Amino acid sequence: MHFDSLTVRRHVTRLVTVPVLAVLAGLAACGAHDGLPAGQADIDAVRGLPWDSVVGRARGTEVVWRMWRGDPSINAYVDGWVAPRLRERYGIALRAVDGHGPELVNQLVVERGSGRRAGTASLLWINGETFANLRKEGLLAGPWATRLPSAAFVDTASPIVRRDFEQDPAGFESPWGRVQFALIYDTLRTPLPPRSVADLAEWIRAHPGRFTFDQGFAGTTFQKILLYALNGGVSRFQGGFDSTRYIDARVNVFAWLDSLRPFLWRRGETFPPDVAAMHRLFANDEIDFSMSNNQNEVITKADHGVLPRTASPLLLRDGTIANTHFVGIPFNAPNAAGAMVVADFLLSAEAQLEKQRPGVWADGTVLDVARLPEPWRGRFARLGTDPRQLPRDSLARYAVPEVSPRYHELIAADWRAHASAFTRREGAR
Amino acid sequence: MSRDAPLAAHAVNRRRGKSAGLLAAALLAAPVLVGLAYAIGASLGVVAAANDSQPSLARIARVLGERATWDSVLWTLWVAASATGLAVVGAVAVAVAFRGHARGDRVGRALAALPLPMPHLVAGMLGVWLLGQSGIAARAAFALGLIVRPAEMPPLVYDRLGVGLVLTLAWKEMAFLAIVSSALLATRGAAAEEAARTLGASPWETFRRVTWPLLWRGLAPAVVAVFVFVAGNYEAAALLAPSDPLALPLLVAQRATDPDLARHADAYVASVLLLVIASAAVAAHEWVRARWEPFVP
Repeated sequence: MHFDSLTVRRHVTRLVTVPVLAVLAGLAACGAHDGLPAGQADIDAVRGLPWDSVVGRARGTEVVWRMWRGDPSINAYVDGWVAPRLRERYGIALRAVDGHGPELVNQLVVERGSGRRAGTASLLWINGETFANLRKEGLLAGPWATRLPSAAFVDTASPIVRRDFEQDPAGFESPWGRVQFALIYDTLRTPLPPRSVADLAEWIRAHPGRFTFDQGFAGTTFQKILLYALNGGVSRFQGGFDSTRYIDARVNVFAWLDSLRPFLWRRGETFPPDVAAMHRLFANDEIDFSMSNNQNEVITKADHGVLPRTASPLLLRDGTIANTHFVGIPFNAPNAAGAMVVADFLLSAEAQLEKQRPGVWADGTVLDVARLPEPWRGRFARLGTDPRQLPRDSLARYAVPEVSPRYHELIAADWRAHASAFTRREGAR
Repeated sequence: MSRDAPLAAHAVNRRRGKSAGLLAAALLAAPVLVGLAYAIGASLGVVAAANDSQPSLARIARVLGERATWDSVLWTLWVAASATGLAVVGAVAVAVAFRGHARGDRVGRALAALPLPMPHLVAGMLGVWLLGQSGIAARAAFALGLIVRPAEMPPLVYDRLGVGLVLTLAWKEMAFLAIVSSALLATRGAAAEEAARTLGASPWETFRRVTWPLLWRGLAPAVVAVFVFVAGNYEAAALLAPSDPLALPLLVAQRATDPDLARHADAYVASVLLLVIASAAVAAHEWVRARWEPFVP
């Protein structure tokens, strides 16, 4: 006896269909709804309770924190300073795992699709368009942030801390740190760097092939700086997204960049994927400027040997974007109470002070230091500054806030399409 | 009857064996099929969808209508074909040159196999260090007085032709193909080639009429595997490929992490395209294999 082709086909059909259906049925079974998602239920449960009860619930638990793990300084602060103190004081085991920005949104959308009450992470490091997307999708639990004891000292007078890309955090995220965009240059190679967008254009023309920007978050922030500078300042973009205004303004940004394309690195036909690649090109003397969303990153990167010792941050006088980064609790957090205790500790004067030290992370505090009780006020005042750090008054003078995240989302995608079409056109000539 | 009984038992056993084999194959294929079903579902907006999205073909039509998608597909095919082609040439050269049992042959084969255990990420980093405009090759050129500045080094990393990526992947994949080629020659080639030479064939004729026909038939499945692997490789592309056109795996990653949530599901459409390329390569191999003449040296 032998198998004819029909028999084989029937067997294959059956044998393929059965396991596929079984797996799908399994997934569907996993996806059965079972009440309110864990994170929101937990937050609702502790809403009326005193803070000590929240701490009591958190004691002896594990908090998985999904965050960007791309910077050894930040990892060392979280793993080597924050985590041991949480364990010692609250018995909380903090486990920081990788995942940031859009990845967090994707993960939670998939977890929501599974329908399970509890997900994997209890805390997320977020801001801007990630916060906007998470809120829009209903993927954050809350409100909870305003009830943290440390929240009493948050610098709510600052619009940069009070708002996240113009959005009201509304208690769904708690501020953690504050940074400001800066270009990075080498004081030896470029003793007289450009100080404004107009000067930068002149400099790029005079130094062909020595400037570029990345296709990641920092590069998009740089384009938003151009958006403000070339279109009458940030005030024109405040008050929510305006499609007509954006389209008009985008023309000026792309025209400015197109006029400089032949003078950019690789004639503007290709761009580095991210700031890590920018730093590498800068350190290897292939370009003369790198960039960062944190004005102090240059110091920690130079200390780690990633950037030259003579590298320094540079602000453009037209204004550089400052923003605040936050922590949020997902709707399905398995341990929201633990996450709240961690967020409170991150916001404490002690943790904020340590984080701001130049040798640690040099991430700006979100606290209103003037309102802090002693000894913390004095400790912040005595906090050593690195000579490479930009003076605080310069940072404040040139800081401009973020605007609606829609500008960020659109300019990133539109630039890709525009850059590609421009290269094709130029190539065809 | 008594003579037929063992035959019937044999047929039953054979059928059971075949069923078990098919079941195992189906189980192995299930994750791929489930993944494909999920990706298609997400492309249509049925699963993993944002709150306000409705199931429709609009996303698929939009992604397939974008120039960037097809630039990405063509660029990926170019990289996969050229890297695989170079790897085959290198692998056959290694197998033929170091086919003997002498110490030099063994050392040659071992050296050619060195990249095999190396992760693709490390291979990509080596590509950057060696081929970048400030890499080892550029520094050597500088030391020899051939160039003065990094920009004078021909761009081989992030370049629009993907030269650095092609060379790196070809070097990495050559090791695997060289091992397969050497094994083919060792097990099947010697006697046939010896016969050809005894009959007066020149070394070139022997290669053309015996060695190569034997090699390409044996190598074909491995070549398809390499092609599919190179087309879907993310790590090396992330380190070496240009920002435009985007390699297809980078396009998938880019769309999945686009700041605009509405574009995230585009990644599923692009990943289905990647699967179509892989399936087409496998189907092409099956088609060729069904038609080639068996090689009897």
